[in-house]
Amino acid sequence: MRVTEIGTRLIQRGIRTLGALTGPRGSVEVIKRRELPYWQERGWVWQDGVYWGNYQTRFGSFQGFIEYRGQGDLRFYMFDPPREIRDGSHWACFQPRGRKGFLVHMATRPSDVSSGILTIERLITDAFENNT
Amino acid sequence: MKKLSVVVAGTGQIRDIEIQPGTTAGDVLNQLNLRDYLLSKGPNDPFFANADTLYDKVEGGEKIFASTKAEVGILVCA
Repeated sequence: MRVTEIGTRLIQRGIRTLGALTGPRGSVEVIKRRELPYWQERGWVWQDGVYWGNYQTRFGSFQGFIEYRGQGDLRFYMFDPPREIRDGSHWACFQPRGRKGFLVHMATRPSDVSSGILTIERLITDAFENNT
Repeated sequence: MKKLSVVVAGTGQIRDIEIQPGTTAGDVLNQLNLRDYLLSKGPNDPFFANADTLYDKVEGGEKIFASTKAEVGILVCA
């Protein structure tokens, strides 16, 4: 067996505070890691059925939002796609929606919001890398 | 052995695992029962192929992501 599962924890809402582990002499402070879902870790916020935030890559952050229409139906939007996307092969997948910006059409729909954000962030990164 | 934390998108879970040399991404996904997922280090890195030896490509203590398969595209789109 190559993989040993050590444990599973539920991600907490918010950031965990510092915990302290005291030793017999002196003390060691244990810094707890952030344990947030990916979308929260990336600063997205949920408000009235919509996730608001930025698709973040090392090439820049791009504002967008995600509509949750129930039963797993997620619609991903980006307000102002960069030139690298507009010039790229995936531009046809960005459908103009007026004030909403551009709907990002998914050939394979993600089953959760974090997977969708990751997919679009990876698309942006690919577009920039292929234009350099 | 290397210890990793796998953040599983959509489940609210972080799975702490320990892998042996030679462990592939597919081994991890199979054992964690995440067969419809893909592993990556994050949005700036490509997905690991199932046959990729994960052990060689991650550092101990690293956090990696398991996300469901998704693809931007329409019929006329590359």
